[in-house]
Amino acid sequence: MGPQLSWYLALSAVLFTIGVVGVIIKRNVIGMFMCIELMLNAVNLTFVGFSSYFRDVTGQLFVFIVMTVAAAEAAVGLGIIIAIFRNRESLDVDDASILRL
Amino acid sequence: MVTTLLFVIFAGLAIGCAIAMVAQRNPLYSAISLVGVFISLASLYVMLAAPFIAAVQVIVYAGAIMVLVIFVIMLLNVEEEERPSRRLRFLLPAAVILAAVLIAEVIFVLWSVQTSLYTPGSNVSDTGLTSSIGIGLFTTYLLPFEITSILLLMAIVGAMSLARRAGVMTVTSRVVPGAQVLAMDIADPRGVSDETPVATATTAQAARLLGVESKQDSNEQG
Repeated sequence: MGPQLSWYLALSAVLFTIGVVGVIIKRNVIGMFMCIELMLNAVNLTFVGFSSYFRDVTGQLFVFIVMTVAAAEAAVGLGIIIAIFRNRESLDVDDASILRL
Repeated sequence: MVTTLLFVIFAGLAIGCAIAMVAQRNPLYSAISLVGVFISLASLYVMLAAPFIAAVQVIVYAGAIMVLVIFVIMLLNVEEEERPSRRLRFLLPAAVILAAVLIAEVIFVLWSVQTSLYTPGSNVSDTGLTSSIGIGLFTTYLLPFEITSILLLMAIVGAMSLARRAGVMTVTSRVVPGAQVLAMDIADPRGVSDETPVATATTAQAARLLGVESKQDSNEQG
């Protein structure tokens, strides 16, 4: 008996939860950003696990699209981080609490 | 069994690296830990018979995205978080409680999956192969694929316009080739002193007029 689907789902849940905790307790913008990437990866693991369990390729196509969205998010998010840093000289989220640069 | 052992190793590595990433105060160390999470997840994808996704995970996530993140960390010269802020004092228990709620929710879902009646089909499958992913991507899911490419285009334009250094610049100020070229409407018209049109035949002539000595010129003279 090898690893079951539920093992992968449990691992994915744990990783997602760690990501959520990180987004809540981190104050650094880049740290929060990396925690969001971790959450996206946890969801990807769920997709691939179900895809391989049900022998259906659709889940892996979703993973492909999620990765593209993550890449786009990385580019735009890091652009925003650079713009905020240029104006505020800080990466603390508490220093950027008003919705303008 | 071997697969069970491998699962335990890679799952432990993933969880350990994830916890290290959250607990780490230096952003550079968190980024390296995140690379560890990505690589152990790629190994798990291989065990799930998804080699293409595993390769893309290593190339795109552990390669491209993390290089971008580390580049920004080094560009901005981020230091470690030093002061323990007031905000953390009540956020830490709040985070733990929310995490407990989330885990409870997931345990419920897991329980309902385990008691479901579905049994997977035969062991032989070509699900994770590149060809089956390509066929799915270019037939049934062609529209999402195209929309994804538009999303990437939007991301390129958005990132460029966000990270551009905005600022007022006089018309007469020097623009060195290779530096950032600003749109003409940002330029300050008050700086204009001489508006006589000048025609030049060659690039070297124009460079001399602008006061920018090109490398080629100095090489020729010297």
